Amino acid sequence: MISLQLVNAKAGSFHLTDVTFDVPQGSYGVVIGPAGSGKTTLLETVAGVVKTTSGRIMLGGEDLTAAPPERRRLGIVYQHAFLFPHLSVQQNVEYGALSESIAADVAERFGVMDLYERPVASLSGGERQLVAIARSLARRPEVLLLDEPFSALDPRTRTFARRQLRALYYERRFTVLQVTHDFTEAGLLGDVAIMLDKGRVVQKGTPEDVFRKPASPYIADFLGAENVFAGSARPIKAEPPDWLETAEDQVTEMPVAFTTGALTFYALGDVVSGPAHAVIRAEEVSLSAEPSTSSMQNQFRGRITEIVPAGALTKITVDASGTPIVSAVTARSVRELSLGIGKEVVAGFKATAVHIC
Amino acid sequence: MELDASVLETTPPARQPSAVLRAAIAVVVALIASVFLLFVLAPVVGLVAAGGGRGLSSLARDGELRASLALTALTATIATLLGVVGGTPIAYLLARRDFRGRSIVAAAMELPLVIPHPVAGIALLLVLGRGSPMGGALYAAGLRVAGSATGIVCAMLFVSAPLYVSAAREAFAQVDARYESVARTLGDDVWRAFRRITLPLAARGLTAAAVVMWARAVSEFGAIVILTYNPKVASVLSYDRFTSFGLSEALPVAAVLVLFALVPLAALRALRRERRA
Repeated sequence: MISLQLVNAKAGSFHLTDVTFDVPQGSYGVVIGPAGSGKTTLLETVAGVVKTTSGRIMLGGEDLTAAPPERRRLGIVYQHAFLFPHLSVQQNVEYGALSESIAADVAERFGVMDLYERPVASLSGGERQLVAIARSLARRPEVLLLDEPFSALDPRTRTFARRQLRALYYERRFTVLQVTHDFTEAGLLGDVAIMLDKGRVVQKGTPEDVFRKPASPYIADFLGAENVFAGSARPIKAEPPDWLETAEDQVTEMPVAFTTGALTFYALGDVVSGPAHAVIRAEEVSLSAEPSTSSMQNQFRGRITEIVPAGALTKITVDASGTPIVSAVTARSVRELSLGIGKEVVAGFKATAVHIC
Repeated sequence: MELDASVLETTPPARQPSAVLRAAIAVVVALIASVFLLFVLAPVVGLVAAGGGRGLSSLARDGELRASLALTALTATIATLLGVVGGTPIAYLLARRDFRGRSIVAAAMELPLVIPHPVAGIALLLVLGRGSPMGGALYAAGLRVAGSATGIVCAMLFVSAPLYVSAAREAFAQVDARYESVARTLGDDVWRAFRRITLPLAARGLTAAAVVMWARAVSEFGAIVILTYNPKVASVLSYDRFTSFGLSEALPVAAVLVLFALVPLAALRALRRERRA
């Protein structure tokens, strides 16, 4: 496991401050955060390359805060592979390997066996990264630190590298801490997500939790939530709305009314009172020609102002009484509803889809 | 964003120099550069042209010249080796580590570069001369500094080591520290990572730094002449011939010394070519 307790560290003028989190043994942790938030410094601190000024780093249950990197039984793969340029591919893979056969096995899995005799300078970016991953795994680390290792790979190689890494991970169950700016990747891979900003952990939890319930509008924005509204919230304990009794979802949280501009949303969650933000993922917003009779507690009529194709989905902005609500719908829905700029539609979302922070 | 048409109409276009003016500027710049190049090359070429032939032919019969060249090469080599041994750790620390007193160490290593070389010779004489405590102790131990080859090595080391440290520091700085980080996570301790990764990657830069130091040591005069006039290195011999016998006798020695200096220059250029390749 990886356990950091109130870790402070300094790299140049950058500081990590009171970083605390746990990635259980055999789990996959992902570190997300904007550029310059300290993601790489965090990995280097876990690796022992950057020294801590205070706090405790436990790896595999052992306090290794003061241990040098070579004693931490971990591997690190940087975004830029940092293959040793004066050595061949084979020498790189075997550099710290426990044995030549282990190195050969990992090289085979990552498809770098054919590159063994080649000088590093002749490799493509993707090949370099595969060699770097193989080099790191040939040592059989108990903890693997990955600093955006797939970002330089073409989609095909990325899928291959991810698949091979995941297979090896399930086989050996080492603990992984991976830096990524791609939240889809974090959601796909991670058991634990750690959101970092300005050297501090600003949120941690399961990727699903961080994604659905960002702790602040800044995090919501960073994670690509299209609908982040500033407004004010008030609990509605005294007069529970009608829909609360008929809601399909099991309601265990308190109803909250959130007002932004001319709109008032219903939300469920921790009772918040006063200025707040409401976050709604675009995928949670559906569009229809007429108000729905289902359990959609929030429905607003408006006109389409923007249509932006975004991969498999199309993002549609609806102006509802001056508040832009973004919905992500399939191309099929666009066709079926004949959606176009200026068309009047109803944007709807459940109270449970609204996260107040 | 759409541009306001009225802005387009009223904003005058940026003025470009005419083709004639551009050509005139190019001619003036080329002239200045040529004069500067001539200023650097003319004395050297003139010296080799005037004394090169005589200098090379006198090598066979002028024993003093041969001895001074051999002494120059030997003392410069010893000084360079000492500079490499002592300067490499300092260069590495300055390139890699952020420690208390780092700027003082860096400034101290640059100090000899700003001291006039005869003044450096006087300072060395003060510390290493027989009259000084350290010089006296060394003399008592059988090591005479002033007036010996040891003094020449000391003078060369003092004035040229900063060039090595500066270039070696740059060579280390060009090797990304993350190579070492990766090697450390692959099981290397600090020394092993340095030996297996950093040193080979910085080798060309370090060799170039040593060549620069050697070349500077060979051409040193000011500090050596104060600390050790005899035995004479080539630069002191050319000065001695000039003051004792005039320009015509100094020319062959000076020309041979210039040809001698071309050796490290050629080595340096070859290293740079290899680096680029």
